[in-house]
Amino acid sequence: MQISGEWLLCDDDVRRPVIRGEVLASDGTWVPAEFLVDTGADRTVFSKALLALLGVSPVATGERLSGLGGVAEFVTVETPIRLIRESGAPVMFQGRYAACTEAEALDMSVLGRDITGLFAAIVDQPGDVVFLLGQRHRYRIEQV
Amino acid sequence: MANQPPAIVMQEVTEPQELAEARARRNRFDRNEAWLQARAAEIYKCHRGRYICIAGEDLFVADTPEAAYASAKSAHPEDDGLFVRYIPKEKLPRVYAD
Repeated sequence: MQISGEWLLCDDDVRRPVIRGEVLASDGTWVPAEFLVDTGADRTVFSKALLALLGVSPVATGERLSGLGGVAEFVTVETPIRLIRESGAPVMFQGRYAACTEAEALDMSVLGRDITGLFAAIVDQPGDVVFLLGQRHRYRIEQV
Repeated sequence: MANQPPAIVMQEVTEPQELAEARARRNRFDRNEAWLQARAAEIYKCHRGRYICIAGEDLFVADTPEAAYASAKSAHPEDDGLFVRYIPKEKLPRVYAD
């Protein structure tokens, strides 16, 4: 399985590794979403903007996540994420995810190791590639 | 939230109708993203501290994600590949990891 992303130009003129996917809203529609591939993040976290569009009710509130800015308040929601594999078919990830309630705390949703840890994550800026590889897909390191 | 991440169940979607809808939606999402990337510097510069929504390869700006989405959906009701993004007030180095 190969899930592809790209290096996307962000608002601060920095390119970051992003995988596009979609998240199920409370009305049954799928909401397109961009996820920063953050190999250091323990959890997948939705941005405030994404949370607002989903309309899902939190299954827990008052949760906390820590980072460089200290400890921030989040809610937990339970709704599936879908990413697109190389065949064009979606792969669904059902679970509970944190969701940020402050816009400035997290401007882009984050794909954490609860999902990326299921794959070999390749985040290669010089090579301009972002991949999650699993199942029958592998990578090889070569000296050239 | 406990330190151990909650279990995630991975499942492939195989239902043909769902596959077709997902692919079509993704194509529209890709087109909107490409449109934004081609104009990113100017759009980001002009709308700091606000939410943008890209739909129908068109820009909608508001102070809340709901308002940006509503404007976009009103103008392009057929576009289910729209997306909303917040533009931070300041250009600062970021560390995302929790």
